[in-house]
Amino acid sequence: MSKPVKLRGLAGQGAGVYKPEAIRDIAESLNVTGLPDAVASALASDVEYRIHQVVEEAARFMRHARRTTMTTDDIDQAFRVLNIEPLYGHSPHNPPTFRRSIPYPSNSTTGTLYFVEDEEIDFDRVLREEKITLPKPVSWTAHWLAVEGVQPLIPENPPAITKDTEEPSTLKSITGQPSTSALVTQSTAKGRQQNQQLVKQVLSRELQLYYARLTSSLLPPAPEDYIKRTAALASLRHDAGLQALLPYLVRWVAEGVVNTLRAGSQIEADGRVLEVLLDVTSALLDNSTLFVEPYLHQMLPPVLSILLHSSLPLTHSTHLRTSAAQTMSHLLTQHSTTYPSLAPRIMKTLLLALVSAGKSRGTREGAIRGLVGVGKDAIRKGLIEGHGAKVVAQESQMPGYSSLAETVTDAFAILFPRSKSPVPLNLADSSDAGVIRKLRESIGDLFTERMLYDSAWARGVLGEPSSDDMLI
Amino acid sequence: MSTGTPGPAQSPTQEEPTPNATQDVIQVADTDRLVLEYLKVRGYKAAEEVLSELMEDDASESNKASGSNTISADELISKIAVFASKPSRPGENVFKSTPNVLEGLVGMNNPTTIHDLIASLGAIGAEDILVSDPTDKHGGYRELEAWVEGSLDMYQPELRPVLFPIFCHFYLDLIQAGYKDAGRSFFNHFSPQLMTNHRPTLHHLSTLTLPAHVHNDDLAQRFKNEKYVVKMSRSGLSLLIGWLTEGSSGEGTGAGIGFSGETGKRGRSATLGVVNNHLRFDVTTASSTAVTPNSWEESTGLLSSLIPQNKNATTTLIDPRAFNASAGQLKLGPTPLSEDFQTAIKEQAMIDRELSTSYDFNYNIQPTVPGTIAPTTAELLPHPPTFKTLDVRREVERVRDERKRIRLEPSTLTAIGVNSPAAATYRASALPSVCVYTLHDVPEGAPCIEFSPDVSTMAAGFAESYIRLWSLKGEKLRGMRSDFQPSSVKDAASLRKLKEKGGTTTRKLIGHSGPVYSLSFDPLSGSAASPRHLLSSSADGTARLWSLDTMTNLVAYRGHQNPVWDVKWSPMGIYFATASRDRTARLWSTDRATALRIYAGHLSDVDCLDFHPNSLYLATGSSDWTARLWDVQRGSCVRVFIGHQGGLSTLAISPDGRYLASAGEDLAINLWDLGSGKRIKKMTGHKASIYSLTFSAESSLLVSGSADWTMRCWDVKGAGGLPNKQQNGAIVNGFSSADANKDEIDSSETTDLLATFPTKRTPIIKVEFTPRNLCLAAGPHLSPDQR
Repeated sequence: MSKPVKLRGLAGQGAGVYKPEAIRDIAESLNVTGLPDAVASALASDVEYRIHQVVEEAARFMRHARRTTMTTDDIDQAFRVLNIEPLYGHSPHNPPTFRRSIPYPSNSTTGTLYFVEDEEIDFDRVLREEKITLPKPVSWTAHWLAVEGVQPLIPENPPAITKDTEEPSTLKSITGQPSTSALVTQSTAKGRQQNQQLVKQVLSRELQLYYARLTSSLLPPAPEDYIKRTAALASLRHDAGLQALLPYLVRWVAEGVVNTLRAGSQIEADGRVLEVLLDVTSALLDNSTLFVEPYLHQMLPPVLSILLHSSLPLTHSTHLRTSAAQTMSHLLTQHSTTYPSLAPRIMKTLLLALVSAGKSRGTREGAIRGLVGVGKDAIRKGLIEGHGAKVVAQESQMPGYSSLAETVTDAFAILFPRSKSPVPLNLADSSDAGVIRKLRESIGDLFTERMLYDSAWARGVLGEPSSDDMLI
Repeated sequence: MSTGTPGPAQSPTQEEPTPNATQDVIQVADTDRLVLEYLKVRGYKAAEEVLSELMEDDASESNKASGSNTISADELISKIAVFASKPSRPGENVFKSTPNVLEGLVGMNNPTTIHDLIASLGAIGAEDILVSDPTDKHGGYRELEAWVEGSLDMYQPELRPVLFPIFCHFYLDLIQAGYKDAGRSFFNHFSPQLMTNHRPTLHHLSTLTLPAHVHNDDLAQRFKNEKYVVKMSRSGLSLLIGWLTEGSSGEGTGAGIGFSGETGKRGRSATLGVVNNHLRFDVTTASSTAVTPNSWEESTGLLSSLIPQNKNATTTLIDPRAFNASAGQLKLGPTPLSEDFQTAIKEQAMIDRELSTSYDFNYNIQPTVPGTIAPTTAELLPHPPTFKTLDVRREVERVRDERKRIRLEPSTLTAIGVNSPAAATYRASALPSVCVYTLHDVPEGAPCIEFSPDVSTMAAGFAESYIRLWSLKGEKLRGMRSDFQPSSVKDAASLRKLKEKGGTTTRKLIGHSGPVYSLSFDPLSGSAASPRHLLSSSADGTARLWSLDTMTNLVAYRGHQNPVWDVKWSPMGIYFATASRDRTARLWSTDRATALRIYAGHLSDVDCLDFHPNSLYLATGSSDWTARLWDVQRGSCVRVFIGHQGGLSTLAISPDGRYLASAGEDLAINLWDLGSGKRIKKMTGHKASIYSLTFSAESSLLVSGSADWTMRCWDVKGAGGLPNKQQNGAIVNGFSSADANKDEIDSSETTDLLATFPTKRTPIIKVEFTPRNLCLAAGPHLSPDQR
């Protein structure tokens, strides 16, 4: 909801906005070197106070001009009444655009730098443009905001959205129904209660009952309810006529995943919950009577979250990541033809998780599994061309990361199967030496060592024709 | 006290001979010896010498003076009290002005405790050095906060307001002593808890970081020089004093932590110092449970400078209610009409009456408002003794408007509840129809928009220094030609010929050299005819009078040195008032270039003003967070309205002359009773600055326009208050915190909010009721790409 943003003075952080370094920079620009720290800091404090003074005064002009954004005009007026020479050359009609940059990207401690961009004006172009359009003069229109206390539904008025619908509720955007019911329930129905209210309006009683039973039999996942759960999943997988429930189920899954992951308690029960939710997702995908495509963008985030989350419950993590990767691969094979941008987008997410610095082991593992799930091309792109393997090789020195290397090795095996009778790479052979060099370049030393014993595999991984083929 | 006191060489020396001077020689044996010993131990040689000298003097003198040789310990203490409370160097010694502390000391009866007393007094000398230690303020405030939080629920509402002034003083003290970093950490540590109620002040204080700032800043100086008034019940105060002096509250659970150790003691005395020197307790007899959550706003703060002080009075008034009561009764009744005038109106009404409707001859030409005193003609501002045709037509039209008015009775709607299903049927009779005039293509926003009383013309002032007029009826706005001979003008017809040919329905008035902040159409023609004059005020420090016949500027009224924020005609024309940044409001008459009256007293900009309908009083709202009511003729302040927690943005007096509604930057609308000066209620719900307020003709409905792109309707007569917490609590339980937050926002809307009408990106900067109760609103449309 785009509402006018209220200017809030963050008093707590207000102190010390103007840094002594800035004073020192200015002093240096004026050829005053070696400014003592105490002086710089005192000057910075004083500058800040003066700025606050001017801004406080300018805020009055802003308020009296009935605006919520301060302009250079307000500052000028404030200067005038404070008996300071105004800063000429600034017009509120053409506010300067500031650009942000980080002066030293390597050094994160330095603050961001803002500067006014110098616009280059091409005189030839300006002179060629004969047409100078005058701005439109001020005009007015009149309309009824309310007739006897009721706001008429005309284009001039905003759509009849009551305050309850202002919350970012995905459910409503799914149903696309203008919630007229909210008028009646606006003061009482909140949050989930209201969602159920809407369910009642859109869905038949039977479906509501079904939804309630379904969700209650799936979660929480008690071991003794195994049969019930299987039945529920089977129903999801095969029953026709669930289309109306689809948005709610998708939302239910998404909420469940988010809540479980956010809690981050890493207990076994959480693992089971996630497992069930993944099962539900794949069941929905399996159901041939459902038209899932409009909801793919909502189904994918939970799956990817499970895949890439840093700390899944230990007992389930491998299993969860594997099944998430499977679900994702399943989803991709089904829908990538009708939704061509899907695979590249997922690839991008996974690559980021794989190569960007500071990700946990779990995320890396999930990313590799995900790449395997996407396909061979993805493995090649991610591990070899994107240097994912190198990153892993570097990190595998750390304790607990050894299993990660295994996962990568497995991924390579999927990319190109190991040969049954491995022929080691011969260092003396010039072509083999070339392969080794290439391997070292693209996947790092660790994995090169692992591939030395099988020349066919190594060449396959590199995408080169094996020496056997050449022989034939 | 027969002997002179020794010269004030040093704080301890000054204090310690005191018991000696009041002491009888006979008791030298036990008490003075102790003192002497103490001084010796402490190394106060000078004091010791003086003391022994005095002892000898005393011995001779008191033998002559008094027959009785003993003075009871009680008497001694009371004498010390007199001495100690002498303000020789105020602020230096916390015990000096502490009758409360001495009350506590009275309990000590035996001479040995005097030793303790002296010991504690002596410690203060050392404390002067230690008082600048920043950590004791930190610790002291933390202890105080913990104590307030731990006190019983029933005392919390009255103890909480004590925290804020102590916080401010500690912060200012730290800054003044040059402890910038300590001050900053103190601020960051403790300000979040106070943010909800005191955001503007705290933000301002946070900008002060050097001792020089504290010296130059108005607010800081007010904190230093004025007493901060806190309202408290007797039991609450005694709890506080008890805690400060004893170190424990004596009140049960969790409260008795108190101070411990040397640092704790210093923290306590720092707190005590602020309490003594800068706080003033307004002790009420009301029980602490009767305090409503918002009542602290009216009686807490740096009040003494806000309340006009009587020159002859010896005591400073600290309670706005006391001032309002002392300022006498107000004459809030409607303006009287002369007999001749009334008959003329009746005759005109007979001629004008519509054939289809039977005209009620007994219709109330002279309205009365029960419970108010009507002023006499002599008390009004001087007006021409005769009346014109226009006056008669205006009054006739007024009566007709009153007859044809749409009646708005919001109380019926409130009675059954705004959201109840049955409410739909009552909405029509409770809520107005609103017509919005939206300005398009306004690049810089329009500081003011105004409708003429007959709704034939709309005027808007712009930041680009010009005024634009639109005819809402689609008529052409024509000025006069300037190329004519005055001799050729003989009658009205020849004057009409001088009108410009052609013309459009809109017209620009150019004359100001700064943003135009306020406009006002002259009320003389009322709703009977289009107005002939327009007043405008601008940042260039002038108010200008424009003729709508010639479409030119007639007069520029200069006098204010600073931007003029607001201008309003008096209800009967001729006079008008301006409000300016120079902290004054002024009364002008159109035929004089200088101000007739200057209303001075506000401590900051006068942002808005409104005349009382009988033109006897003028209400002003200021950035010093107060509104005042002035006697227009005498120029004196007759009421002060304290309660807003931010500068005032707009105000309106109800047509029946009994209520004042004011809106402030705290996003609240306060409703005041003019007669008593008391706040009736606080209405909240807006989420951005409130730009305009207006009452319906019956004074039963208040409409507000705001920067949050909404227009809201409020029930004036309803009780108001925040919705019942219980109701929400039941729903909130068991839901995520996001839901709970949303609930809090919702519950900021008081129950007297009848309706909210959102607009499409249009801040409503003007709302106005026509005499027939149609609501007009206006605002500039902000295009989404505009910043």
